[in-house]
Order: sequence, then structure tokens, then C-alpha cells
Amino acid sequence: MNFDDIKNDWNNPDVGAETISASMLKVKEAHTPIDIIRKKMKHEFFYQIFFLVIMFFLPVMISFSATTQMAYLACYAIICGFSAYYFFKFYKFYKNSYDMSMDSRKSILWFYYEMKLNIELYKALTYIVAFIAVAFGAIYILVEQNADLSKILAKLSPVYILLNCFISILIIGIITELWAWYYYGKYLKRVKKVVDELDFE
Amino acid sequence: MKETENIFLDLINQHKAIIHKVSKMYTDGTEEQRDLFQEIVLQLWKAYPGFKGNSKFSTWMYRVSLNTALVYFKKDQRKVDKTPLDAHIDVMDNTESDQKEEKLAYLYKAVQELNAVEKALIFLFLENQSHKEIAENLGISELNARVRLNRTKEKLQIIIKKNGYEF
Repeated sequence: MNFDDIKNDWNNPDVGAETISASMLKVKEAHTPIDIIRKKMKHEFFYQIFFLVIMFFLPVMISFSATTQMAYLACYAIICGFSAYYFFKFYKFYKNSYDMSMDSRKSILWFYYEMKLNIELYKALTYIVAFIAVAFGAIYILVEQNADLSKILAKLSPVYILLNCFISILIIGIITELWAWYYYGKYLKRVKKVVDELDFE
Repeated sequence: MKETENIFLDLINQHKAIIHKVSKMYTDGTEEQRDLFQEIVLQLWKAYPGFKGNSKFSTWMYRVSLNTALVYFKKDQRKVDKTPLDAHIDVMDNTESDQKEEKLAYLYKAVQELNAVEKALIFLFLENQSHKEIAENLGISELNARVRLNRTKEKLQIIIKKNGYEF
């Protein structure tokens, strides 16, 4: 194979007479991994807002005692606080523009770390909300003193209860990691592959 | 805004061969090619306000086009089509132009078996860029660019030979 011959042919290509028109600039949706992740996070943002609204009306639908209601409101306020903080971070990520004219290594590393950071933020929010929900569950069990529930609890050893808490936390962790990997990880993996190919010597 | 758009369209149309070639290097199929072409045009337009004219417009276009292709993601990532090249290319007449087209078609087909960075190396080499320019565009050292380009050229020759074509 003669690369010089190929170069000659390569540099005189027939690219057709089709002209790039203004309509091609009007397309709004880009398909870089970061754009895809942003779009998915935007969808999740609306689900979370919906979930928070439903949570607000939960005490109306379920009759809590005054103490449980106080605990619920405290947990709800904490979840809202954390959600607001993370929503703000995601909003910044969503609005943050990227520079495609840097050299490839810089550009792709930026993509990689920006995506990784936001996936970690996403996981952190999921952990926080899940742990607060578990904590509220524990408060509910202890405060409500439901007769049947008290009977069951009295029969269980503290070690068994602690073990259950540990397993619950482990399951939350595994589900969060798997979900984040399934939903966002493949994009990160693809960009990481290009980073590794660039760093290969 | 309209004026900026017109200037941009003039410039991009003068150099549209770059986008065509990058799209063909990074995709294997007309529809995918069109999608990547569209994506590159969009990314160029989005990045255009940041173009200050410190480098040639074509140099800037190389970077944006290649970076877009390197991270371009389609949901249905297709596997590389490894069917023999002859199956895709009709028997052509022996005119010089047809031979040239055939040669390029075989090249594009073989390039699909390279990884994303190897494609970038071959693309920049074919665009007559020096080792230094290739290194600057990819953000790697000049020595690394030289070594990896040589390896990639050898790999490409093996692929083309394996597929039963020689030029």
C-alpha cells in the first residue's frame, strides 16, 4: 500500500455539490455523551419534583401521630434542602457549555471528569434520600408502637435488627450503583475508552 | 446574527470536505454518516463564537470535527462490518476516477477496524499534517504521535492485505 498515492486521492475527494444550509444550524439536540446525560438528568429532575410533591401530601393521606408527623416534616425538610443543593449543581452542569476546540486530550478529559463528577453527585443525592427514608422508617416503627409491630420487635435480638439495617444499607448501595451504571455508566465507559486510547504509549 | 450565520456558512462550505471525510472515517453506513455530519456542523456552529481567528479556520475545524467524532455516541452502536470489501463495492470500470473512488472506498472500509484514536492519527496524516501538528491536535507528545502513526499505518496495511486488496 502506497500512502503517498492514497494521500493524492484523499486530498481530491468528490464531496458532492450539497451545500450546508442554515437549517442544519437550527437543530437543538446534540448527541455527545454529555448532552445525552444532561437530557437524562433533566428528565429525572422532573420525576424528583413530582416525587417531592407527592411526599408533601403523604401525611394527609396517611394519618401519622403528632410526633411522627414532626419527624416526617423534619425528614422532608432535610430531603428538600439536599435536593435544592443538588438541583442547583445539576443546573450548573446543564448550563455549562463545553469547548470542542481544545486539543483532543484536554477536550475528552474535560468530558470525562465533568460526567464522572455529576454521576457521583447523582449517586450522593440518591444515597442521602434513601438513608433519610430508612431513618424515617425506623422512627416510625419506634414511635408509632403499633401493637403487632411491637410484638415482632420484642422477639428479635438487637444483633438481628442491626444485621438487617446493615443489609438494607448494602442493598441501597448496590441498587444505586447498578442504576447509575445502567443509566449513565455506559457513556462514561465509552469516553474513558477514548481517554485510555489517547494515553496509550 | 444573520450576518454571522452567513459568514459561518461560507467558511464551512469552503471546508466541508473535512466534515465529509471525518464522518466517513468514524461511521460505517450512509445514515450514520449523515447523523455524524449533522452533529459536527452543529458542534462547529455552537463553538463558532469562541473562534477568535488565532489559527486558520480549517485548523479550528479539524479540532472541533475530530473531538466531536471521538465522543459521538449513538444509541445503536453498530459493530464493525467485517464482510469482505468486494461484497460492498460494485465492480468498477477502469477509469482513473473509478479506481480512485474504489481505492478510497477500500480505505474507508479498512479504517473501520481501527480504534477512535488510530482513526484520528490516520486522518490527520492523510490531511498532510506533520507529526508536530498531529501531536498538537491530539494533545500527545510528538514522539508518541510519530511512533503511534507508524504502528497504525502498519496495522492498516495488514487489514487491507487481510481483506484481499493491495494498493
